[in-house]
Amino acid sequence: MEENVINQSKDITIVEILDRVLNKGVVITGDIVISVAEIDLVYVGLKLLVTSVETMQEKRLTIVKPDQEKK
Amino acid sequence: MVDELTYVYCISDSPLLVDTISDQKNLKCLKFHAFYAFVKQVSPDEFSEENLNKNFADLPWIEIHARNHIRIIGEVMKSSIVIPFKFGTIFNSEESLGKFIQKYSSSLNENLKNIKGKEEWSVKIYCNYTLLNEQITELSEDVRNMEEEILKSKPGKSFLLKRKKVELIEKEVEKVVQLSGQVCYDELTTLSELTQINSLLSTELSDRTDSMILNISCFVNQGRVNEFLGAIGELQKKYKKIGFDMATAGPWPPFSFTSIKEK
Repeated sequence: MEENVINQSKDITIVEILDRVLNKGVVITGDIVISVAEIDLVYVGLKLLVTSVETMQEKRLTIVKPDQEKK
Repeated sequence: MVDELTYVYCISDSPLLVDTISDQKNLKCLKFHAFYAFVKQVSPDEFSEENLNKNFADLPWIEIHARNHIRIIGEVMKSSIVIPFKFGTIFNSEESLGKFIQKYSSSLNENLKNIKGKEEWSVKIYCNYTLLNEQITELSEDVRNMEEEILKSKPGKSFLLKRKKVELIEKEVEKVVQLSGQVCYDELTTLSELTQINSLLSTELSDRTDSMILNISCFVNQGRVNEFLGAIGELQKKYKKIGFDMATAGPWPPFSFTSIKEK
């Protein structure tokens, strides 16, 4: 079976995981779904993270993106 | 109020015997047309909208469930293509999930097609600014010129120039970080089908002493993964002396490169 990052390492930080499972992935809206985790709500409990991200944005590199249309 | 809710981990193109995923009670693989949804029945006491919002203020609760969420997806991903769902995606019932899948089947198919044969890797670049500051005289002609001028100047002018030098060093350090960071990004972009720039994490969150300067997700063709990792190794060697360090992890479930759109 193919190995992936989740099986390889038990030491992935919770921040790294939250960065993915809360910020990304398929997000659904619509009346058939009773509850979708809103990232803003989550950040209420993670003030440290949100403050940190805001502060760090000031230091972000100004990356020049190439045209990514490779299709 | 319903007795049970349906928590969705991911949708896949092929089935998996959920018994192979250890210690997972109530985990099910449901077939809907050509799709397989990995779900678990959960109690409204914990996962109703109201209770979920309460639990989201509880960091230990989030940690346990977020780790479990990604672990289940990782297990499914070992043997099939997965469309990972955001943590905390809950349907009223299996029936409502079925309706959702039917409604978005073309988008789900498109996602499966797009992610086939590709892997998501995260690359974080950190910079040790202390080390880079030590190298800046060697790296910057402007700094060298100013140092020469300071040596030639009388005490008064020398004092002012030294203050200016501090500002110049700061500017030059940022310039090196910017230029080298861009070179790394460009190189990784060339080797990826797609890239996504993510938020930076502070030192206390990344649990490191150096500063994160770039956090990206790369979607790489499986056939080019070795080349991609090799290139990161080369960049690491090349930029180590200016204090850069690269942390690569993967393959992740394709969290950054899947999205559901209306028909």
